Amino acid sequence: MSVSRAPAAETTSGSFPLLKGNEGDAALTDHLLASLWSTPRAWWLLFALSSLGTLLLLGTVTYTVVRGIGTWGNNIPVAWAFAITNFVWWIGIGHAGTFISAFLLLLNQRWRGSINRVAEAMTIFALVNAGLFPVLHLGRPWFFYWLAPYPATMNVWPNFKSALPWDVAAVSTYFTVSLLFWYLGLVPDLASARDRAPTRTRRLIYGVFAMGWQGSGFQWQRYRIAYVLLAGLATPLVISVHSVVSFDFSITQLPGWHSTIFPPYFVVGAIYSGLATVLLLLIPMRRAFNLYDVITRKHLDAVAKLMLTMGLMLTYSYVIETFMAWYSANTAERYTYLVSRPLGPYAIAYWIMTLLNVVSPQLFWVRRLRTNPVALFLISAGILVGMWMERFIIIVTSLNRDFLTSSWHIYLPSWVDWGLLAGSVGFFCFLFLLFVRFVPTVAISEVKELRQQQAAARLAGNRDA
Amino acid sequence: MHDHHDDDLTRRTFLKALGASVALAGLDGCTRIPAEKILTFVVQPTEFTPGIPVHYATSMMLDGYATGLVVEANDGRPTKIEGNPDHPASLGAAGILEQASLLQLYDPDRAKFVRSGTSASTWSDFTHAMAPATLRQRVGARGAGLALLLEPTSSPLVGDTLSSLQRLYPDMRVHYYAPLSPAAASAAFTEAAVIPQYDVHAADVILSVGADFLASGPFHLRYAREFADRRRAPLAGMNRLYVAETGFTVTGATADHRLRCRPTEIEPFLESILATLATPSPSPSASASSSEGWTVALASDLRAHSGASLVIAGDHLSPRAHALVASINMELGNTGHTVWYVQSPLLGAGQPGMTLPPLVAAMRSGAVDTLVCIGGNPSYMTPRAVGFSEVMRRVPNSVYVGLHENETARDARWFVPAAHYLESWGDARAYDGTYSIVQPLVQPLHNGKSAVEVLLAMTGVPAGDSLAMLRSTAARIGVASDDASWSAALRQGFVAGTASSRIAATPRPDLLARAVPPTNRAAGSVDVVFTPGACVHDGSFANNGWLQELPDPVTKLTWDNAALISPGTARRLGLDTGDPLLLRHASETLTIPALIVPGHPNDVVTLHFGYGRTGAERVAEDVGTNVYRFWPAMDEFVINGVSAERAAGVAHTDFAITQTHWTMDGRDQARSDTLGNYRASQRNEKTLQRTPLTIYDPQRRLESPVQWAMTIDLGTCIGCSACVVACQSENNIPVVGRDDVAKSREMHWLRIDRYLEGNEDNPQVITQPMLCQHCENAPCEYVCPVGATVHSSDGLNEMVYNRCVGTRFCSNNCPYKVRRFNWFDYTDEISETERMARNPDVTVRGRGVMEKCTFCVQRIREAEINAGTAGRMFRGTDVTTACQQSCPTNAITFGSLTEPDSVVMRRREESRLYDVLAELGTEPRVRYLARIRNPNPDLESG
Repeated sequence: MSVSRAPAAETTSGSFPLLKGNEGDAALTDHLLASLWSTPRAWWLLFALSSLGTLLLLGTVTYTVVRGIGTWGNNIPVAWAFAITNFVWWIGIGHAGTFISAFLLLLNQRWRGSINRVAEAMTIFALVNAGLFPVLHLGRPWFFYWLAPYPATMNVWPNFKSALPWDVAAVSTYFTVSLLFWYLGLVPDLASARDRAPTRTRRLIYGVFAMGWQGSGFQWQRYRIAYVLLAGLATPLVISVHSVVSFDFSITQLPGWHSTIFPPYFVVGAIYSGLATVLLLLIPMRRAFNLYDVITRKHLDAVAKLMLTMGLMLTYSYVIETFMAWYSANTAERYTYLVSRPLGPYAIAYWIMTLLNVVSPQLFWVRRLRTNPVALFLISAGILVGMWMERFIIIVTSLNRDFLTSSWHIYLPSWVDWGLLAGSVGFFCFLFLLFVRFVPTVAISEVKELRQQQAAARLAGNRDA
Repeated sequence: MHDHHDDDLTRRTFLKALGASVALAGLDGCTRIPAEKILTFVVQPTEFTPGIPVHYATSMMLDGYATGLVVEANDGRPTKIEGNPDHPASLGAAGILEQASLLQLYDPDRAKFVRSGTSASTWSDFTHAMAPATLRQRVGARGAGLALLLEPTSSPLVGDTLSSLQRLYPDMRVHYYAPLSPAAASAAFTEAAVIPQYDVHAADVILSVGADFLASGPFHLRYAREFADRRRAPLAGMNRLYVAETGFTVTGATADHRLRCRPTEIEPFLESILATLATPSPSPSASASSSEGWTVALASDLRAHSGASLVIAGDHLSPRAHALVASINMELGNTGHTVWYVQSPLLGAGQPGMTLPPLVAAMRSGAVDTLVCIGGNPSYMTPRAVGFSEVMRRVPNSVYVGLHENETARDARWFVPAAHYLESWGDARAYDGTYSIVQPLVQPLHNGKSAVEVLLAMTGVPAGDSLAMLRSTAARIGVASDDASWSAALRQGFVAGTASSRIAATPRPDLLARAVPPTNRAAGSVDVVFTPGACVHDGSFANNGWLQELPDPVTKLTWDNAALISPGTARRLGLDTGDPLLLRHASETLTIPALIVPGHPNDVVTLHFGYGRTGAERVAEDVGTNVYRFWPAMDEFVINGVSAERAAGVAHTDFAITQTHWTMDGRDQARSDTLGNYRASQRNEKTLQRTPLTIYDPQRRLESPVQWAMTIDLGTCIGCSACVVACQSENNIPVVGRDDVAKSREMHWLRIDRYLEGNEDNPQVITQPMLCQHCENAPCEYVCPVGATVHSSDGLNEMVYNRCVGTRFCSNNCPYKVRRFNWFDYTDEISETERMARNPDVTVRGRGVMEKCTFCVQRIREAEINAGTAGRMFRGTDVTTACQQSCPTNAITFGSLTEPDSVVMRRREESRLYDVLAELGTEPRVRYLARIRNPNPDLESG
């Protein structure tokens, strides 16, 4: 593509190179596809573990559907708890994928090329998990489609004043676009896999999914247009989905939910947790598949900086919503923010959340920590826990002590609640492991393109010198 | 014109044909037509139209006394129990036990078969064995070996039957036993078997000493009404209630002044009142907050209302305390005005030889060959020291007639299933002596036999004659023997003018003279007080899911009993709520989880009877702790000097408490004020009502000519919970069980919130019925994604169960948290018989849907249709909600906003009207009247 833009990419890369090594295109493709043709022993081990997690999810889902929501810890007043926490958490995780792919594509951040595939896959799998919870959470999950505006014979429509039908629309749109975007990006790499597949069966399968990709200039031209258009479509969705999710809370009058800051607050939190998940996945992958040349410290540094930014914005949201509760002079609002959360029965979760979401990212001011994979891994894991706690705090501590003190009651999760959470993590890993085993995990064509650009830039630089 | 469909096999006709062929294919497999020739229903009995409920007057006997009831039957099934408006003990209200006795009728654990030894038997075998010819050979010609043990009863029919049995067996013994029988009250007078009667309405100042006269006892519905009538209009002669009591009762919670007393302090307290009254002019106390200051202020208040004051003694105080109370009433000139005395209508009242101890002695000595025990449950409800169970097993021929194969049934050789009162003919007298008829609504479901039928069988009269016998008894009482008079009496349910006449009663001078025994309580020991469980009574209602799940009015504890202790005692013993407490007295020990109750006296433990059942009743199984085994002796409801400590090695109990937070935390949902402030606010024309600003037209919702609204007067709500049971019965509300209540999943559409204010030693209590507020701007409605909760044109917030998918968003946005969710399929777990108790007009909700108070929409629509059919204008006054109907104090009123003359609207003119959480702008249709307290100005500082 445009050679003139390449120096810009170089300058943004700072002192860390974006790509290392001197492999030729063919060698690079072979390297990046290697994970498709051989199965490390560790993969089997992890796959077995994640299958157990998946079975746990299947078991707990079946048990819930057969027996009813009563198998959970939910009650009146806490009618929403773990399931909705899990839903918002997974949706949030699902945000970083599209954010990295589409948002950064439009902003011409070339470093995204090495990691966008992983981030998009993560989005899809997180959304699969996220979509499960609101349906399962219904008292009568078999009627979940009543939330969709389908042409029912009785002429009943969803109640468009409620946030939930919008939620269904937003999440399903987001899922569809994310899936398309991911698949479209995959097509050239699937063609590479087809061309290098060792057996006829694999060639056939990859061939079907490659949809006849030849890599002709004509195809590339159409492909580019479609990809940028989809990115343009996906980018506002990143903002809208979590904004709509936040409406599930902010349209109510419940202290702790009734807040206008929720949409940006939720979007920031979502991207924050999504970036943490990206790091959690990239750091082991880079080691397992020897991707140090493609996923460099430059990538880690960039993601860490973004996380620091999101962490600061989130802290700002925490401060503002607490301030507004005080400023409202409303007894119930003040109680929720100033007494119930920091000092109430769930205070431990509140302070864990503060430590992990507000304090721990401050370590990213230190450059050495931003590029240290171990530190990054630990802090990201912490942020992921912290973000789960945040949603739990928002949902449960607002409900368990609201207006009338007579209805206050504690909520305690049941083993099914824990099983569903652990099972959904297992299922996510299960899907992700299948992904790294069968799908090109790095956008090979983009990396090759970037390498060509860098080489051209070097050449141009030499010539200038 | 030919329809072109005729020739085709359309989809519809195809399905019809398919359905028909399937039905035909299965027909031979499932036919239930009897083999004999049967006839169709051609001649419809009068008073019966299928689908139209019929109401019958009847009476229920509890602890020997009758309460008049009106029972609704749908197609022959009793489905709802309500009060008989004309009956003196009811005045239209029904208590929790009366209402819940419906579920007892349908209890699947009721015994169904006659048993002899361990083998099944029949009623005819039993009647043969008990017929005079057979029985005489066992018990002797004069029946010296025969003993009967009955529950206390005032039934003239039972009396007559016993007389005829006594003619056969002149030496037969007859005994009566119930653990809670108030023998002490009668023992306080020189005359035998005297019981006091009160006119609560006439009393300006009332002192209750350990008496829960508003919520328990045979006349509590009437007393609650009379009490409330003097508080409905606070500015027009409001009464004042002082309560001195040990454990918190409904009456104590309603009091203007409550003094927590250790049981040993009761008699000195009464003595000092008597002494203060005798003093010409007691000086106003130096310290009004001390208990002496309290006594002086109280005494001068009582004296100031001589002749119009009333002192009531609790059933289980000592005879001496009763005598002191009678003297105080006499001193105040109340006797003959607010209090008078009558002869107890209970059979055998005042005859010590007819109580349980002489029977046990006779059984122990081997003098009893045949013991016939009808009702009650003495093997469970007696102190362990009595050893009833053991001596009953030694009786060669024992019979137990009961509803369940309970603890006593296990000790009996013969077992005969008893008939429920809704299944049998009978009679009883109300507390004032009014003759009341027990009319059955159904054939016995399990061929049970009434006490009268068993006694008649023993006299050799064939069964089925109890009605004839009843009519002759009624004729003796004053019902003319012609059919018309009998029908009139049946329709009314009682015979007016049969109340007992007043008698003179003198407190026993020897009791008054006797000095108080010194209280030598060892340091660190506690006093233990035994009281009936607020919901299961003495344990005879323990197998009733409605009552087990009904929160205790004060502690809000369900499905359990506990050792109630004060916060101070809890600190001293190092206990928290749920921690095990070990009580030790003489050779008996009891381990029971503690429950901290503010306002409970220090160093006193209150224990509730009725739990820890071990009979065949499955609902009552493993619920709570049996405290009868720790009870030292019958008629002794207090033990002094019990050692108390934390039990080692016993697990903490997680109670199923429906309201875990005791206070309002400075919020103002349940409001109250003093009469003085209220009077001042009247002059300033201040109102409590806040109207939030709105941009909407407030008239927009008044589309229909009738607009439903409810006004609840917190000033007269005593928190007795009758409305909760009424709602449960009317609206088919499921019982969820202990585990789900502990998780805060109880389904009650109407709950009673109880808040404590003030300090933990002497808190003020306020109770507030909380139900769907039917907000005009309902927060639940706009958040429902499928529109399953919507507004009706007459102002109801409605639930469309079949549209509900169960997101529970509505509950999250309900600031009153009155919505209830079907976490499991609660209704499917109900037995076949209990299904018969359901109201056919109310949908049974399945798993996964939300539900809540509907303002008894089924009653509204029924009344609307009836008005339409009759061609008259439908008015708000045509409808009574179930809660309103059962309320003994008429605290709940219901009607239409559009009828300014209706009671519900007239009450809204008071300045103490307010909306709960008005600031949210929900515009609730339920409004509350703040409770006005009438404290004694001399005590107000304390």
